[in-house]
Amino acid sequence: MTTISTRLGRLIKAPENFLAKEDVKEPVQMRRKFLAASAATAAGAGLTVAGAARAASNPVSGAGDPNILELPAHSVGLGMPVAANGYGVPSQFEKGLQRRESPGLTRVSAASVAFTPLQGTFGILTPSGLHFERHHQGWWDIDPSKHRLMINGMVKTPKVYTMDDLMRLPSVSRMHFIECGANTAMEWGNVAVPTVQYTHGMISCSEFTGVPLSVLLEDAGYDKRNGKYILAEGADGSGMTRTIPIDRALDDVIVAYGMNGEMLRPENGYPLRLVVPGIQGVSWVKWLRRIEVGDEKWATKDEAIHYVDLMPDGTHRQYTGIQEAKSVITSPSGGQILLDKGFYNITGLAWSGRGKIKRVDVSTDGGINWRTARLETPILTKAFTRFNIDWAWNGKPAILQSRCIDDTNYVQPTVHQLRAVRGTRSIYHNNMIQSWRIAESGEVSNVQVG
Amino acid sequence: MSKWVNAVTPRVLVRAGLGVFLSASVMGSAMAAGKFEGVGRTATPAEIKAWDIDVRPDFKGLPPGSGSVAKGQDIWEAQCASCHGVFGESTDVFTPIAGGTSKQDMKTGRVANLAREDFPQRTTLMKVATVSTLWDYINRAMPWTNPKTLKPDEVYAVVAYILNLGEIVPENFVLSDKNIAEVQKIMPNRNGMAADHGLWDVKGKPDVKNVACMKDCKKEVRVTSFLPGSAVDSHGNLIEQNRPIGPTRGLDTSKPR
Repeated sequence: MTTISTRLGRLIKAPENFLAKEDVKEPVQMRRKFLAASAATAAGAGLTVAGAARAASNPVSGAGDPNILELPAHSVGLGMPVAANGYGVPSQFEKGLQRRESPGLTRVSAASVAFTPLQGTFGILTPSGLHFERHHQGWWDIDPSKHRLMINGMVKTPKVYTMDDLMRLPSVSRMHFIECGANTAMEWGNVAVPTVQYTHGMISCSEFTGVPLSVLLEDAGYDKRNGKYILAEGADGSGMTRTIPIDRALDDVIVAYGMNGEMLRPENGYPLRLVVPGIQGVSWVKWLRRIEVGDEKWATKDEAIHYVDLMPDGTHRQYTGIQEAKSVITSPSGGQILLDKGFYNITGLAWSGRGKIKRVDVSTDGGINWRTARLETPILTKAFTRFNIDWAWNGKPAILQSRCIDDTNYVQPTVHQLRAVRGTRSIYHNNMIQSWRIAESGEVSNVQVG
Repeated sequence: MSKWVNAVTPRVLVRAGLGVFLSASVMGSAMAAGKFEGVGRTATPAEIKAWDIDVRPDFKGLPPGSGSVAKGQDIWEAQCASCHGVFGESTDVFTPIAGGTSKQDMKTGRVANLAREDFPQRTTLMKVATVSTLWDYINRAMPWTNPKTLKPDEVYAVVAYILNLGEIVPENFVLSDKNIAEVQKIMPNRNGMAADHGLWDVKGKPDVKNVACMKDCKKEVRVTSFLPGSAVDSHGNLIEQNRPIGPTRGLDTSKPR
């Protein structure tokens, strides 16, 4: 490595000189060689157990760390030019964090789920490229100039809007979580999946921009006396349809085209989707083409055959939508291994479909004693709230849990409390306290505790 | 515009017969109709007909037509069976359509097998309470790779075939907009849905009430469920699903444990 750096350092022209194209290629090639060497080291470190992993990640012997003593290529060479990536992409070292399917969960990948890697995200916003996916009949990249939104039913004037129309209207931008009603579904009966990506990754949080639905309903002159519900309908093959009560529709629902500063991603409904804060993701109809105002619920397939919660007596609860307060520790979490004994920042996410997160408590002894975590700002309604708390691991087995309280004073329940009412076959709306067991080896695993 | 209004007194405008125009400008935000001038337009009847395809449980939106079980079987075998199986029994692609319901269920309107913990699968006919749901969904979303291509009579026929698979209607049955309400009265799980829960309204009452105990909350901690050994590596190698830096690494689940 030293030899390469020195050699290239001599060969490359000074930065103020105008470089020929061939010269610009050199640092790229050099960087690639360097990365290859580092990747091998990192992989080696990962294979070792806790203590050894730390030694490998921050080694010092002799005069010191060669990463400091021997200047790396990027310190003695020329970097990449601007706009090398017209649309930026994550570092190549971040390839591990991907949306992934849970093998065996679904049989057809066009009607499946790809989970967000919560184990690696920071703060409260989910990168758009890692936003979880759930499609019912595949996704499309729709030409926005041909997309239309219709509002009909119990309205004075049935309307058609183009994207031009919608983007001319007064807009709002708000941060909200979107959680699939089936998030954590695999854990109703027993522990089934290894990591927080699969236990909790059917959730994301973004800033959405669009027109309040109330503006459009007013514009069409909805029937204020008799209009009790709206139906939202997608333009995809599934023609996804969900019933939403009119008071909810008029409250904080957004007809959104923007997400995290850009247009929605195709997998998330480009160019138009409904944002229904606090309600399960299936109601956030993607590729939104139509809103109908009516006076009865529609009992569509996804509110009469799926997204119905089976109770122990064989009754199905229909029209369940609210995502009640829930939290999870994202690091350390299942399927990870701690580097060594000593200090850790336990971090995680909390959210409530009924309002704001008021408090998050964390236990490291399986729920015997609890400490209140720090909440990071902003703390927004129906959005992720990030929590952090200091912890020194003494190398003994531990069980980490988080428990949130929202501004209705609802306390996140245990799995046993939920099962006592809903049994184990409910599938949807599992907001139990999650437990991560840390073994003496530093390995973190998914457990449930009594 | 505002400059012009400012420059002219209301009196002048009123005299000129422009009083209404002035108040419209000043009160713009309070206007209902025409608030967003130039934005959106009225939908045509043909457009509404093309898109407003939903069918409600009270059969509002259901187009007239009919289809027999026999015709439904032909369509089924040609366009549905490859995914659902000839008898709607297949589990290869989707969960089974028919099975698990009984004559007794048709009398009570409650599918008894739904209360059984040991019953292996919930079929579509075990769950669905409203026959309109079948009609609406098949019409809008089936066949899987070719949705919205069935004509109304074909949708009636496919629904009839499914109902026959579930032994809800006889082999010689012809389903139509005239008799579909009668079929609704014998749907096996028609009384199986409940809406008396707190998960519909944002102010709804939660099922459970946990208490935020902080100290000595229990005497012992019992682990009641572990990740089964077979599931440790069921999601691939976890070391590759975590960063190579940070407070932790992913477990290397490619190695025997």
